[in-house]
Amino acid sequence: MTAHAPILLEAIDVEKCYGKFAALGGVNLRVRANTVHSVIGPNGAGKTTLFHMLTGTKAVSGGRIVFDGQEVTHEPDYRRVRRGMARSFQVTSLFLSLPVRENLRLAAQGVTPRQALNPWHEPVGPRALSQVVDSVLAKVGLERMAGTPAGNLSHGQQRRLEVGMALAARPKAIFLDEPTSGMGIDDLEDMKQLIKGLRDQHTVVLIEHNMNIVMDISDTVTVMQLGRVLAEGKPNEIRGDDRVRAAYLGNMITGGKG
Amino acid sequence: MNIYLLQVINGVGIGMLYFLLAVGLSIVFGLLRFVNFAHGAFYLLGAYFCYQMTRWGMSFWLALVVVPLAVGGIGWATEKLILRHVYATDHEFHILVTVGLALVVQELVILQWGPLGDSVAVPDALQGVVIWGNFVYPKYRLFVIGLTAVLAVLLWWVLEGTRLGSAVRAGSESTEMVSLLGINVLRIFSLVFGLGAATAALAGVLASPIRGAEPFMGVEALAVAFVVVVVGGMGSFSGALLGGLMIGIVQSVMSTLWPEGARLMIYVAMAAVLLLRPHGLLGRKE
Amino acid sequence: MKKYAYFLLAALVVLAMPLTMQSGSLASEVLIFALAAMGCNLLLGFTGLLSFGQGIFFALGSYTAALMLTRWPVPMPLALLLATAMGALGAAVVGWVAIRQRGTYFVMLTLAFSQMFYFIAYTATGLTGGDNGLMDIPRPNLSVLGVELWALASPWQLYGFIAAIFLLVFWLLLKVSRSTFGRTLLAVRDNEERAAAIGYNLKLLKLQAFVISGAVTGLAGALHAMMTGLAPLSNAEYHTSEMILVMTVIGGTGNLLASLLGSAFYLLLADWLSQLWPRWLLLLGLALMAVSLWMQRGLWGLGDSILQKLQGRRAPAATVDAKGEQA
Repeated sequence: MTAHAPILLEAIDVEKCYGKFAALGGVNLRVRANTVHSVIGPNGAGKTTLFHMLTGTKAVSGGRIVFDGQEVTHEPDYRRVRRGMARSFQVTSLFLSLPVRENLRLAAQGVTPRQALNPWHEPVGPRALSQVVDSVLAKVGLERMAGTPAGNLSHGQQRRLEVGMALAARPKAIFLDEPTSGMGIDDLEDMKQLIKGLRDQHTVVLIEHNMNIVMDISDTVTVMQLGRVLAEGKPNEIRGDDRVRAAYLGNMITGGKG
Repeated sequence: MNIYLLQVINGVGIGMLYFLLAVGLSIVFGLLRFVNFAHGAFYLLGAYFCYQMTRWGMSFWLALVVVPLAVGGIGWATEKLILRHVYATDHEFHILVTVGLALVVQELVILQWGPLGDSVAVPDALQGVVIWGNFVYPKYRLFVIGLTAVLAVLLWWVLEGTRLGSAVRAGSESTEMVSLLGINVLRIFSLVFGLGAATAALAGVLASPIRGAEPFMGVEALAVAFVVVVVGGMGSFSGALLGGLMIGIVQSVMSTLWPEGARLMIYVAMAAVLLLRPHGLLGRKE
Repeated sequence: MKKYAYFLLAALVVLAMPLTMQSGSLASEVLIFALAAMGCNLLLGFTGLLSFGQGIFFALGSYTAALMLTRWPVPMPLALLLATAMGALGAAVVGWVAIRQRGTYFVMLTLAFSQMFYFIAYTATGLTGGDNGLMDIPRPNLSVLGVELWALASPWQLYGFIAAIFLLVFWLLLKVSRSTFGRTLLAVRDNEERAAAIGYNLKLLKLQAFVISGAVTGLAGALHAMMTGLAPLSNAEYHTSEMILVMTVIGGTGNLLASLLGSAFYLLLADWLSQLWPRWLLLLGLALMAVSLWMQRGLWGLGDSILQKLQGRRAPAATVDAKGEQA
């Protein structure tokens, strides 16, 4: 079924150079709608850089990005949000002094940013976007913490809020950068179920180091190394791929036993 | 002698002083990641300490050595005792604490030397002009150009060739990495800040026979240093040099064409550079 | 209700001044610079933008009001509106160039532009009077269609007029700070990169904040010109921008009422101390350093902390830092 889903996002020969350092050297990627597409690879492979290119956080040095049939290569991140892209960050980046609810409201409102310029009306009533905020709070399990400043949350709760921020934008494609990093075992399982359940309404592009999660919930896995795509396929295909084994020095692609 | 040639040479002289003024600011920013708004105050102290020493009958040459060391020491102590405590807060407060410091220094200067300003005599050995065929030029200004050129080379050598310099350049990239390498980052911070203060003071000393010493010169010096750094590119040594020379020459040449507007033109030049190259001529995109 | 508390407090202060102070001019000055400090606060406390260029807009307001009232006799309310518009326009120009840079670069640019404006004002003697500034600015009574509504001749009469304008602007700014825009600015101040990542056009947001700030500051400058009868070059000096910033920071960033506190503190102290010791600015410099080091929430934050201690509450961890609370 998923093999015939339309292509939502395409990266074509994407390059990124920081001065003389080539972080990405010609990456091609195709993400199909309503799938969970994981990007894995050793540290320094360029996964987060690829995310930056896809979401527009930073500009490409070469190549093209096509989203939902539209050329978005030169659009900055805040424009791509309106097209239906939302991301979470590997290093938690929240509005620490603001309550959880406000963090989510801001994220939900970001899709219609012209409201943000309104210097007269307070964000109450329909402008508070309570429906969206409440549903996201429920989904990431942070209802009890709604009024707490984000800086006061535990690490696991902050990682959940990170995902929540992306969800609040009700995006077509949601980019999660190591959502489970630093999480404890209980949180991990919840997060895994959460991401798994996103597939119905969103397309998920996921960077993860936790192979248990990757192998369990992904429809497609792309393996990167040194700024290029090394291999791509279904989780089982990747598990048995020799090149991937070599890249990871063998013992990580064993579905959670490593 | 051709008046424009004269002004260009003057411009080089001023430009080299501007470079000296700006390079400390640039290096401090590159490493400590904040802009020292008290930089002009160090320049001010340089000029006034020099004035005081000459009033006491000491030689200008002695002042040239002692004053930068003294003000450098003040800078070093300032970082160690005061600025260090502010790094944990928002960057606005890094700037504001130095603004407060600049104000304190300015008022102390007025308290000690009065609000009117004084002049500093050109040292005897450098009075008069140099005559070389058609070329007639004040000896002191030539000396300034020569000395600052030597200093520029010296600074370049320190930054590129010594371990301290490597640590500073590495620290500009990542202070975390540097501390992981076992180098005492905080000690380097104090040293670099002191060095920045010393170069500003030296610029003040060198400028004092030309411009005198006046309590409000710190603010203008700060603004000029900013312009040079913005034009040349933040954190860039050669940017400070190029920026300084460019701004110095613009100001000097304009002072012939449109005297009242000379100082305005350096800001116009800055705005023009910014519109074309937002990160300065030699700056890197952050 | 807390919503009206701030406005009522402001109104209280405004009413208290004539009862406790002797000089109507000083009271007017407090309100005028409170306006300027609020403009600065919108940038610093709400958006996280440290601007050394507020003097530009203040001077623009002064010059505009002076020119409108002397050269082409324009009705006084219109002169004030035009001065406000000029402040907004100046802010749009400066903002458009400066906002392209982030962080410290931005701060440096505002200082450089401030100096640039000073030299422009110095050389454009036809418009600004250069070194002498503009003088003999009249203070027309407030009249509509020839009917005099409000005489402004005496200092306290003028104070009443300025107080009314102050309260109006204060109310407007309160609305802005509580609006969707104001809340978005707080997010920008907290974490710019995240704000952009969730869809906000930072440049546009910052520019709008700048324009509002410039408008308010321009109005303050115009009122200052009317009060003193002068539009001096010193309004464009670094010291004016510095002074406005100091008031804002010492009062407390992130809370509009704190700017009134900061302005009152600075000007009353200046009035008292300058007679005792001409170098009193030294103490102010020390105060600025002290606030930056130990009391980042300013006097308002200090009062808040004391109040909370008295009530036996401990402030939650995330808010006890350099970020103030919103008004």
